[in-house]
Amino acid sequence: MHLPARYTLELDAAHRTRRRIGALPTAVPDTATGPDHPVRTIYDARHQQTLPGEKVRAEGAGPAKDQPVNHAYDGLGATFTLYLRAYGRHSIDGRGLPLNASVHYGQGYNNAFWDGKQMVFGDGDGRIFQDFTGSVDVIGHELTHGVTQYTANLEYFGQSGALNESVSDVFGSVIKQYALRQTVDQADWLIGADVLAPGIHGTALRSMKAPGTAYDDPTLGKDPQPATMDGYVSTSQDNGGVHINSGIPNHAFYLVAAALGGHSWERAGQIWYDTLTGGALASDADFAAFARATATAAQTRYGDGEEYQTVLKAWSQVGVPAAPTGTALPRQASPQQQAPEGAQPPSQG
Amino acid sequence: MRIAVTRTGGFAGITRRAELDTTGRPDAGRLHALAHEVLTASDSGTPVGVPDGFVYEITVDGRTVRCADPHLSGAQRKLIQQVLKEGA
Ligand SMILES: [Zn+2]
Repeated sequence: MHLPARYTLELDAAHRTRRRIGALPTAVPDTATGPDHPVRTIYDARHQQTLPGEKVRAEGAGPAKDQPVNHAYDGLGATFTLYLRAYGRHSIDGRGLPLNASVHYGQGYNNAFWDGKQMVFGDGDGRIFQDFTGSVDVIGHELTHGVTQYTANLEYFGQSGALNESVSDVFGSVIKQYALRQTVDQADWLIGADVLAPGIHGTALRSMKAPGTAYDDPTLGKDPQPATMDGYVSTSQDNGGVHINSGIPNHAFYLVAAALGGHSWERAGQIWYDTLTGGALASDADFAAFARATATAAQTRYGDGEEYQTVLKAWSQVGVPAAPTGTALPRQASPQQQAPEGAQPPSQG
Repeated sequence: MRIAVTRTGGFAGITRRAELDTTGRPDAGRLHALAHEVLTASDSGTPVGVPDGFVYEITVDGRTVRCADPHLSGAQRKLIQQVLKEGA
């Protein structure tokens, strides 16, 4: 057993200043600055792992012959549009940050990530995963890691790490729903539906509507996500299970959105966005602190009515106390489910 | 020489582990050199990673070092790729 890896952002001095400012309640104006259109540049890493690679499509240029280039370009655009139109946010940093992405990173590389400055997409090995630019929710997920980095800056470890992951899933799904103009009933609430290779038994990598049901496959194993605190997984792997326990706050958001109805980016998304960017959330927030912050955000924006009550009820349904004064409930439901070492799927990618 | 690689994290959050025994392999010399370079140039502390980035744990004959995407050295990358591809 070893200490799980913590991730540390590479922050320059200016960024650190922004982060400190961002910790104050009113310091991140949603309408700061920046153009009302994205400034995108797509690079081709040409199967190397050196970033960014060769520039292949600039903002305003016509489609490339290479589809991943266009998928990345469109996904960055869909993400920019959601944040601007729904929340008045100008790009990832709220100040018009240019959006850069590299496609064809590595050889058969089974991943996509935000490196603190840009998006990186692998092609997938074709056996388990395929082209990571194929799901707009994956692109939205990764770019939202950038938004979190510039706002609440949730530590990528344990419960705050699972919240960081969840916020990315929430807005990844919301970005897809906005692009498709779907209502909460029409949405699939899946993450990564299009990046699973055709032979894999599963519908996606994660399900916000039904965590734990996204896949069940001889190679990948079974989707390990819990929907409630009863299934909370304590593990040292994956920064303390950040991609596992995110199922709990994911499901809380789904419950809020489903109960409020209509479009997820409207009231439910606004409450989560206010929570993320409002400045009141600590970077080491646990689930209960985040739940309380969403309740406060709902109350601040909408009063004590339907929205606030719906938020309280949703967190209660997943086993996390959200009442502002809430000290009556234990911080975590017990017993905690221990992840057996042998339960990890043996092979991937 | 036994070389094991455990990869955690990633967008999918799925762990992958593989181990390779260099005994009798025609490329044992090359692998030993790579492993030596990785052990010398890496440390056992917590690596600086990125959200959704892969984190790797490389164990060579019981000694473990850690590293993370996208900041791998050439030797780390080569060793990780070969062990995950050819190991069991
Ligand atoms: Zn993520």
